Amino acid sequence: MIHLENVEKKYTQMERPAVKDLSMEIKEGEICVFVGPSGCGKTTTLKMINLLIRPTGGKIYINGRDVQKQNPDRLRQNIGYVIQQIGLFPHMTVYNNIATVPRLLGWNEKRIKGRTDELLELVGLDPDENRHKYPNALSGGQKQRVGVARAMAADPPIMLMDEPFGAVDPIVRAQLQNELLNLQRKIKKTICFVTHDIDEAIKMGDKIAIMNDGRLVQYDTPENILFAPANPFVEEFVGFDRALKVLNLLEVGTVMKTNIVTANPADSIEDIENKLKKYKNNYIAVTDDKHRIYGYVNKQELNIPKDEEWHKRIRKFSTTLPLHATLKDALSEMLQYDIAVIPVVNENNELAGIVSMKALRSYIGEAYEDEENAELPDIKVSRRRGA
Amino acid sequence: MDVIQYFIKQSDRIFTYTLNHASLIMIGILCSLVLWISVGIAVRNNSKSANAVLGVGSFIMSVPSISLYGILMVIPGLGLSRTSAVIGLVLYSMLPIVRNVYMALNGIDPSIIEAARGMGMKKRDILWKVQLPIALPIIFAGVRVALVMMVGTATLAVYIGEQNLGRLLTHGIERTHSEMIITGAVMVSAIAVLVDYLMGYLQRKLVSPGIRSGADKSASGKVRYNGI
Repeated sequence: MIHLENVEKKYTQMERPAVKDLSMEIKEGEICVFVGPSGCGKTTTLKMINLLIRPTGGKIYINGRDVQKQNPDRLRQNIGYVIQQIGLFPHMTVYNNIATVPRLLGWNEKRIKGRTDELLELVGLDPDENRHKYPNALSGGQKQRVGVARAMAADPPIMLMDEPFGAVDPIVRAQLQNELLNLQRKIKKTICFVTHDIDEAIKMGDKIAIMNDGRLVQYDTPENILFAPANPFVEEFVGFDRALKVLNLLEVGTVMKTNIVTANPADSIEDIENKLKKYKNNYIAVTDDKHRIYGYVNKQELNIPKDEEWHKRIRKFSTTLPLHATLKDALSEMLQYDIAVIPVVNENNELAGIVSMKALRSYIGEAYEDEENAELPDIKVSRRRGA
Repeated sequence: MDVIQYFIKQSDRIFTYTLNHASLIMIGILCSLVLWISVGIAVRNNSKSANAVLGVGSFIMSVPSISLYGILMVIPGLGLSRTSAVIGLVLYSMLPIVRNVYMALNGIDPSIIEAARGMGMKKRDILWKVQLPIALPIIFAGVRVALVMMVGTATLAVYIGEQNLGRLLTHGIERTHSEMIITGAVMVSAIAVLVDYLMGYLQRKLVSPGIRSGADKSASGKVRYNGI
């Protein structure tokens, strides 16, 4: 999709090139995250793809066509561009902001109207409520949503995002990240995403390009970046809590227990006791006819007088997780609500599985065992030094 | 009371003077808008030429109006004419308009321009559809200052043959005719206030609601007194 070949950017007033000898291939439908310390050349690289910055050497191809041989305006109309400061036009309504590129492309108003509504829905804003607002009436998160909608207006196959969520607070940032990931499952764009935050890179990226001093240091999947850092720079940049970061990579869908036994409110108390005995469980999840989670009952609380309804002993789960939540989300919820199991539900709110602290611990444990073995010699040395 | 009597008695003359006054300002401001907004746009990306232009504007501003008209008067081909009067007004409005256009265009958040470029807008489209509309409140402020100044400066154009409200002032002073002076002063002030009000109305109509709030403050306060 996007192919960079020995790309270089040299500024005359600077001794070292901002980007040097950069070659990489970004595949269609992937999110490629450029990450590195400030001044590493990640933003420069991004802006060379849509020619906001002209490379001084090398070639950039999009779908096999050399970008430098194309009309830059025409090229940019086909590449979505989102920046940290968003750059919404303050004198235009949300509608007119989103309509910018479609108008450049000569769409008729009817088509623009349809597309704008569709996009606003897609980014989670009510069209009727927000279409006629001016940017100064929107919150930071809403502005960035409009910014993303505007970049996607003409349905460009490629999106360039330069620290798109850098200016919003952490809670909204996490929300926007999740929304973008959900969106990406539907729209399958090729996204180049710049950030300086390795956690964001691990969360968002199908591939991560770590840059330093204008060079590409490692270009790999997040898993390989975490488990097989190419050199000490990457290792240090990724941080020493790599095992915890792995939690950000895995979705609860991959570790949850799926063959769970459930009870139905129509079941008799004997049915439930039999199920509990058979599966040696301490609790049983209760779902309704449509397999939607209803609650759970504890084994020891079922010792009730025969005439009493067991339904009264059903407890509600404090929280549920969507299939695409990460293990880190799961762990955080568990700590927050002081619980050891969380049900996982699919899009239709049906029970998909259960993720437990035990399962999480075994994942973290495995990762930490490796870590301990690897770090052991170093630890000894430092101890001796301390003594 | 005498003033009112004077006003009634001389209403024909005052009416003619007022029309002349208004038409002079109208021609002056139209020429100024076309000329100085173009100049402001032309120098927007070049701080060197901008400084030169603004320097000239400041210099002209510092020349007393009477002497400026005196100079214009002796230029062959101009002399005692409406052309001289208009040129004088246009020269005086150079600084406020060029300065505000220049500053407004350069004061726009660069990320807005970057986003516009990143979406593939042409330079000309960015200027007309993004930069100028956003700069409008500050440009308006400059034009307002220029206009109100023109109303006053126009009174001095009577020295080069204009028949406007300035006559009431100059003749009134010569003859110590206080009714005449007061009538002239009140009429000139009334025109200034009216013009300012009209500009405010136009601004509310033309400036997008998205940038209206707060823009007035920065336009009349910050920019007007920021000398270059």
